[in-house]
Amino acid sequence: MSSGYKPDILWSPHHADRYVICDTELSLYRIGPSGSSETKAGALQLSEETAATLLAINSDTPFMKCVAWYPKHEPECLLAVGHTNGRVVLTSLGQSHNSKSKDLAGKEFVPKHARQCNTLAWNPVDSNWLAAGLDKHRADFSVLIWDISSKFSPEAVPAEKVRLSGDADSGLLVTKPLYELGQNDACLSLCWLPRDHQKLLLAGMHRNLAIFDLRNTSQKTFVNTKAIQGVTVDPHFQDRVASYFEGQVAIWDLRKFEKPVFTLNEQPKPLTKVAWCPTRMGLLATLTRDSNIIRLYDMQHTPMPFGDEVEPTIMERGVQPCSESIISSFAWHPSAQNRMVVVSPSRVMNDFTLFERISLAWSSTTSLMWACGRHLYECAEDSGQAAEAEKDIATKMRERAQSRYGHDTVQVWRNHVLAGGDDPQLRSLWYTLHFMKQYTENVEQKQQSNKQSLIYSGIKNIVKSSSGTTETRRCWSGSDRQTDVPRFHSEERSLALQLCGWISQGPDTDVEPFLKSLEQEGEWERAAAVALFNLDIRRAIQILNKGASSEKGDLNLNVVAMALSGYTDEKNSLWREMCSSLRLQLKKPYLCIMFAFLTSEPGAYDGVLYESRVAVRDRVAFACMFLNDAQLPRYIDKLTNEMKEAGNLEGILLTGLTKDGVDLMESYVDRTGDVQTASFCMLKGSPGEVLKDPRVQCWIENYRNLLDAWRFWHKRAEFDIHRSKLDPSSKPLAQVFVSCNFCGKSISYSCSAMPHQGRGFSQYGVSGSPTKSKVTSCPGCRKPLPRCALCLMNMGTPVSSCPGTGKADEKADLTRDKKLAQFNNWFTWCHNCRHGGHAGHMLSWFRDHSECPVSACTCKCMQLDTTGNLVPSDSV
Amino acid sequence: MELHILEHSLKVASIAKEGIQICTHGLIKLAFLPSKTRCKFFSLTETPEDYTIIVDEDGFKELPESEYLSVADATWLALNVVSGGGSATSSQPIGVTKIAKSVIAPLADHNISVFMLSTYQTDFILVRERDLPMVMHTLSSEFTLLRVVNGEAVAANSTGVTNGFVKPKLVPRPIIHPLSSPSNMFCVTSLDPDTLPSVATLLMDVMFYSGGAKEAAGQSEDSGHIRFFSFSLIEGYISLVMDEQTTRRFPNNVLFTSASGELWKMVRIGGQPLGFDECGIVAQISEPLATADIPAYYISTFKFDHALVPEENIQSVIGALRTNESTGQ
Repeated sequence: MSSGYKPDILWSPHHADRYVICDTELSLYRIGPSGSSETKAGALQLSEETAATLLAINSDTPFMKCVAWYPKHEPECLLAVGHTNGRVVLTSLGQSHNSKSKDLAGKEFVPKHARQCNTLAWNPVDSNWLAAGLDKHRADFSVLIWDISSKFSPEAVPAEKVRLSGDADSGLLVTKPLYELGQNDACLSLCWLPRDHQKLLLAGMHRNLAIFDLRNTSQKTFVNTKAIQGVTVDPHFQDRVASYFEGQVAIWDLRKFEKPVFTLNEQPKPLTKVAWCPTRMGLLATLTRDSNIIRLYDMQHTPMPFGDEVEPTIMERGVQPCSESIISSFAWHPSAQNRMVVVSPSRVMNDFTLFERISLAWSSTTSLMWACGRHLYECAEDSGQAAEAEKDIATKMRERAQSRYGHDTVQVWRNHVLAGGDDPQLRSLWYTLHFMKQYTENVEQKQQSNKQSLIYSGIKNIVKSSSGTTETRRCWSGSDRQTDVPRFHSEERSLALQLCGWISQGPDTDVEPFLKSLEQEGEWERAAAVALFNLDIRRAIQILNKGASSEKGDLNLNVVAMALSGYTDEKNSLWREMCSSLRLQLKKPYLCIMFAFLTSEPGAYDGVLYESRVAVRDRVAFACMFLNDAQLPRYIDKLTNEMKEAGNLEGILLTGLTKDGVDLMESYVDRTGDVQTASFCMLKGSPGEVLKDPRVQCWIENYRNLLDAWRFWHKRAEFDIHRSKLDPSSKPLAQVFVSCNFCGKSISYSCSAMPHQGRGFSQYGVSGSPTKSKVTSCPGCRKPLPRCALCLMNMGTPVSSCPGTGKADEKADLTRDKKLAQFNNWFTWCHNCRHGGHAGHMLSWFRDHSECPVSACTCKCMQLDTTGNLVPSDSV
Repeated sequence: MELHILEHSLKVASIAKEGIQICTHGLIKLAFLPSKTRCKFFSLTETPEDYTIIVDEDGFKELPESEYLSVADATWLALNVVSGGGSATSSQPIGVTKIAKSVIAPLADHNISVFMLSTYQTDFILVRERDLPMVMHTLSSEFTLLRVVNGEAVAANSTGVTNGFVKPKLVPRPIIHPLSSPSNMFCVTSLDPDTLPSVATLLMDVMFYSGGAKEAAGQSEDSGHIRFFSFSLIEGYISLVMDEQTTRRFPNNVLFTSASGELWKMVRIGGQPLGFDECGIVAQISEPLATADIPAYYISTFKFDHALVPEENIQSVIGALRTNESTGQ
């Protein structure tokens, strides 16, 4: 243990505030808060809060090699000191008036042949027993167990041979040990085994660890190893023992004592002390020579015993209790959690508490927990602030899932309302999908399938295929002036305008319905701009006037209307000059682009096209009207790339549900993490290649996992159904089959071979109709199916407690009750005891019972089902 | 019982008295500065004739080549008997006596020459490396044989041992060599390695300057005294054998003394240098002692063998050995 010159530290077993430092003398210290009145001027500061006071010094034993503190309360400061010559002396500190310690103090235990005493250990229960481990002697034992209550040297030792050196009072000398163990061997360390205090002793012998049973000393269990120093038992796990050799610590399991269960990483320098933390499970502290770092090994999560094939999970870290000085020794505080005192070779002491690793856990519903030491903290979102700050995407997705976001397949645009209706990108996305769907449906009605594939591939591709563009010059409606603004028409361009939502289906290219709907929604500026772009300046002015006079209307719109009415196409007019410069000061983007349009040269509409505050669909529609065949694809390509890079969902209009669209969605998911929108959106894509894209599959799987993690199992099932409708390839294959015990054939298989009997075994017995035979026997071999453990009827018989199902026709509308009733008839059994029956019966049984319904079967079936006790957190 | 075959490859050397100063540097390093060498096994025994050094290969490099240094040509291995169980009886046959019947006699029967080194802590039986298969074959019936590799004992099986070995000759062993018993008494002792630096100068004086002014060699021989001192440092353990007078020069509490303060007398074996090939010498001495249950130490040197027996037993020892001698003749 200590080499005699470097100070070691020893904590009192019963007084949490006392410890002893031993080097050439023993010094007893009391530790207390540094500010308290008790502490005198001479107190040594140990940390910011604590200080130590020297209570007593004992310098009677200068040749000490090792020290052990008496484990009982009384006498309280009795220490056994092992000397370099093998003698063990009992001594006391600061308790000279205590009569009981007086009896014992000064007592000496002398081995027959002198050699160094390496270690001492008191028996924790029979505290009269003190085990001493000595170096080897050719003719003597190395483990001596002394009885401190024995008074005289036994007569077995011939009186004439006892030439004791110097001591007069032989009454205090004991030369006959209670037990002698380990001949011709050295004992470097020992400890009593807590499992059987009185009988078992573990000793690090010369080249092996040995367990001695004192009831039969000729019997010992031993294992050959080098790691024989510092044997110590984990106080929290009595079969776990640590020992070391040079730089390596070996951990042993006494139940599997043949070899170490594992060894810790070897240190470059030899170890000097290894100690289990008394206050924390599985924490081992080690110290190497001339080091200022204490290494800690956390074995809390190491299973004991574990198989050879598993790598032990041990967390290693180092702590540096005092910055520079090297550590001579350390001692754990017996009760304060993770606290220790370290001492340097110059006897500078330091009190410090080890900070516990913090482990964090996020729940799937955004709450956060962390554990530190024995404390558990929960971190909840501050609801007051959460309303103001933008919610986390997980919270949003959860709320959206609850509002059935994505499931409105009729009015597709409504999904953005289900999503909360406050995200312009989602709004644009769902409108785009809505228009695509609408167009597809119309086309289907007209049997024009040639453009159907094109519609989902986005405006980018539509425009590319454009041909036969015609150019018209129209005059301003409501004005007889001729304009020189060329407008372009083609079939594809009008298709694009439809997708943008400006015009509706068919040959009718009137924007009036669109303007009306915009007016209804109060988007006055946008409506005015759209009207203007359709060269109807009067309508635009009218809209602006309407907007100004409406509720909460902006009176400035009147001013804008006035400015608009002054439009002149003279190139050098004052109006033009002022408008082109002042328009930049307009806050509303649509007003701004209106004047940009009016003041631009034909074909040079950058002021409109690159106004990023204007919705993409409006800019694209504008481009489709006023850019020629050369400019348009270039603009669309540029805008598409911009959208893809930004992950802007408005760009889906351009990319469609193509590979480009997946690229765009990828950068959207990268930005937001919104796999929900991505999954629903991509499911709409009819081309199979998009759905086969691994990224899309990944989003879908992640969304499903999220739903499962939230315990939204019904939502997940609903999503799966939705998915299988849109993507037939995702339909799961049958995963569960019931096979007959007798012939081994699948019951459901043979059933599906007979088409009139339904689709699967789940429908067995559902048909209560008397004309159909109940299937209570195997269709293959005609042997009866097993009986339900509760109703004792053969499986296949419908559950008796559901009389309604008897009359219902199989093909009737599958109401919820009906579906549940079907499930009640399912086969269910425990994988452990193999008992089971009707699912409905089993469910109701296990609502009140934990054991199997079969008498004499004690299987706790329901507890074996780890998910059986989970409740879905969504409603059907 | 376990027999450990230690991993040290040992050399046995003799340094002539007049040549000791050439070797002192290396010897001091080996004896007092163990951290400066990789030597794990070092023993120095001074007899009136010479210094006998037993040292492992790492330590041997510290010694200079010299005409005063003669080395036995074989490489030796040390065997160590460990009582595997705590089953020893309360009456303790000490040292060589304990292993006389189980190790030494069988080896002698098989014509295997041994070299003994008893220390405070244990007894080492040195055998030639080339004899090892024979040794293992001979002792495997009695012992669990373990070979020490890198400090860990692993089971050694005596494979390759088949027929072709000489049958043991089970004949009585008469004592061949003359015996003498010097008059001085000896202590077998040890000390804490931590206190070694404090007595290093004294030990050096005892080791190297004993033949100087203090006592003339001739005078001590005349009065029946013999100059004998042994120091060994083996695997960190120190063992000392010195006569009673020398112990008085050490400070109190440094040397380990037994509770009974026992003293030993010496029996010196051999009139002519014994050499290394003759076998059965140790057995000749130890067997009668074991029969009489007398504890003994046995230290072989380059030229002669030395047995130490408790002082109170010296007469009976001599008696026992004489009897044996006469039966042999």
